Amino acid sequence: MLYFEKRQSVPQYFKVIIPIISLLIGLIIGAIAVAIVGINPLDVYGGILSNAFGSWYAFSETLVAATPLILITAGLIVVFRMNVWNIGAYGQYIMGAIFSSYFALFASHGLSKPAMLVVMVISSMIGGAIWALIPTFLKIFWEVNEVITTLLLNYIALYILKFLMYGPWKNPESYGFPLSKTFPQTAILPVLFKGTRLTVGIIFALITVLIVWFLIKKSKFGYEVRVIGDNPLAAKYAGISVNRNIIIGMAISGALAGLAGMTEVSGIVHYLQVKIGADYGYTAIIVAWISYLDPLVTILASILFGGLASGGYSLQITMRVSYGIVGLIESITLFSLVGAQIFLNYKLRWKNGSS
Amino acid sequence: MDHHSIYISLLANTVKAGTILLFPTIGEIFAERAGILNLGVEGMMLIGAFIGFIVAYTTKDPYLGFFAGTIAGGIASLIHAFISITLRGSQIVSGLALTIFGGGFTTFYGQKWINMTLNNTLPTVKLPILSKIPYIGPIFFSQDLIVYLSYITVLVMWFILYKTTMGLNLRAVGENAKAANAMGISVYRVRYMWTFFGGLLAGAGGAYLTTSYAPFWLDGITAGRGWIAIALVIFAMWDPLKALFGAYLFGGINALQFQLQASGTTIPSAILNMLPYIGTFIVITISSIIVKTRHVRPPKELGIPYIREEK
Repeated sequence: MLYFEKRQSVPQYFKVIIPIISLLIGLIIGAIAVAIVGINPLDVYGGILSNAFGSWYAFSETLVAATPLILITAGLIVVFRMNVWNIGAYGQYIMGAIFSSYFALFASHGLSKPAMLVVMVISSMIGGAIWALIPTFLKIFWEVNEVITTLLLNYIALYILKFLMYGPWKNPESYGFPLSKTFPQTAILPVLFKGTRLTVGIIFALITVLIVWFLIKKSKFGYEVRVIGDNPLAAKYAGISVNRNIIIGMAISGALAGLAGMTEVSGIVHYLQVKIGADYGYTAIIVAWISYLDPLVTILASILFGGLASGGYSLQITMRVSYGIVGLIESITLFSLVGAQIFLNYKLRWKNGSS
Repeated sequence: MDHHSIYISLLANTVKAGTILLFPTIGEIFAERAGILNLGVEGMMLIGAFIGFIVAYTTKDPYLGFFAGTIAGGIASLIHAFISITLRGSQIVSGLALTIFGGGFTTFYGQKWINMTLNNTLPTVKLPILSKIPYIGPIFFSQDLIVYLSYITVLVMWFILYKTTMGLNLRAVGENAKAANAMGISVYRVRYMWTFFGGLLAGAGGAYLTTSYAPFWLDGITAGRGWIAIALVIFAMWDPLKALFGAYLFGGINALQFQLQASGTTIPSAILNMLPYIGTFIVITISSIIVKTRHVRPPKELGIPYIREEK
């Protein structure tokens, strides 16, 4: 029979081939799912590929989707490394968008563009961090499970946004559509390349990754995060304040998700509305895992999954193939990744007879 | 008299809405008792709701729909079982993947079903004698058969958990898998079985939603109920009887929200729709504090993979 035998050492190339094979499994099962309803999978994948990477404009749209993904993932890997499960990036992203929109909509007079943008960046980070710290304190004081609370706060944030969009912040000239007034010019992030929607947000994202890389690999905080992730009890005995590091990590994670929300409203949408961005908060979880929580790898993975999101979204419009296919591919990829984790620690062996 | 009937119908709807949560909560209690945390409840409910809806729609038989949705939830749970039991993967990540999978699957295949409505919903079957009891009768015993099935499920599962060898084995596996194995219990088999059971019941909750309470198809129709069920497991402190109260409490919030909306309240609908999540948030916080202070604790080896040592 087949059984698992403990591995003595982990071959490093496993961390390269496992993500690639996982993504391939995701794509193959996605292809079967598409073929079942009578659509040619090659058309779908060809469509996604050309809509994501086929031209300079397509690629710029992929980077537009990658921007919030990079920002959110950079924050998630800090807390995931401590085995703290922030599933609430979506809610923190919305709060960041709401906080920064407040200044764009109601407090913009007399502020120059740079000042306005700085105010929006800071407020979005505060908004996201507050939303992440509520469940963090509940976890620290009363061991309230953060998976559930961060997730519930996603729904609560979404309904706060809906309340604002149908109520007090609604644009009276929007013909009943749930959206705010358009931001003033001073509250709009500058575009990097003419003819695209790619803004300086991508630069924020890249700088952020470098900072997080430095934090994780080179700072005392990063060292403590690693110890906590390996063994929280040992960390405690070594005099590391586990709670303090969790608070800092969650604040960073929430702030970055909030900043992602700001880059979306200020850079892409230019007003606040009920549907801002795709499911970046959840996709980022997959990006974080497929990168094995390595900040630099997340850039590549974000571009890949940003392309899948952007390509899949265009496909919905051009080929009427449901966007659900993206979720299917993403989830199968994630299943494969978690399932394959065992090969990092064990070898599959064959033994004669039963035991 | 008029006010009277409004309250009665509100409470009857509370039971209906509560049933949607009761099935998945019971299912998750048993999976967790066996040591398997399945955060995929929302995904399994969505799959159950979708399969239940399309089978009921095409066969015009709501019972068949309910049954199919239940099975579909069970099948979906096997992915999680395989990854977390056989492959010993992270149960948290695998469960999240299952939730994303349920969303992707139902969005993709559900595209052409959006806004379709089911005409044959589960019929009301008034129980003889019992339905005549004042107050209790119209609230609890003038429901459909699936609601009665949920009452039976709670009682039977309570009995199995505390009064049978099967329940003893299940608890042993969740508390100390190694000791259970030494006692001759197959840890893998028990875990597979109860994870599958959890999936069946999550599917049942979803299927009940679309064959009775909300007989139409919308993208993401379960709207976070799977997460509410997971929170209710903690509220119930892993006890099937207490799950009943939790499920009806939230069923009540749901029914009230619906009644208020129907009566044309001035409260913004976004605020009304937020209520169940705020309620869950408060309840899980309070339950966690109680769990912590009263030293009731989750199954000891919840979320920890079991590795049988090779001899």
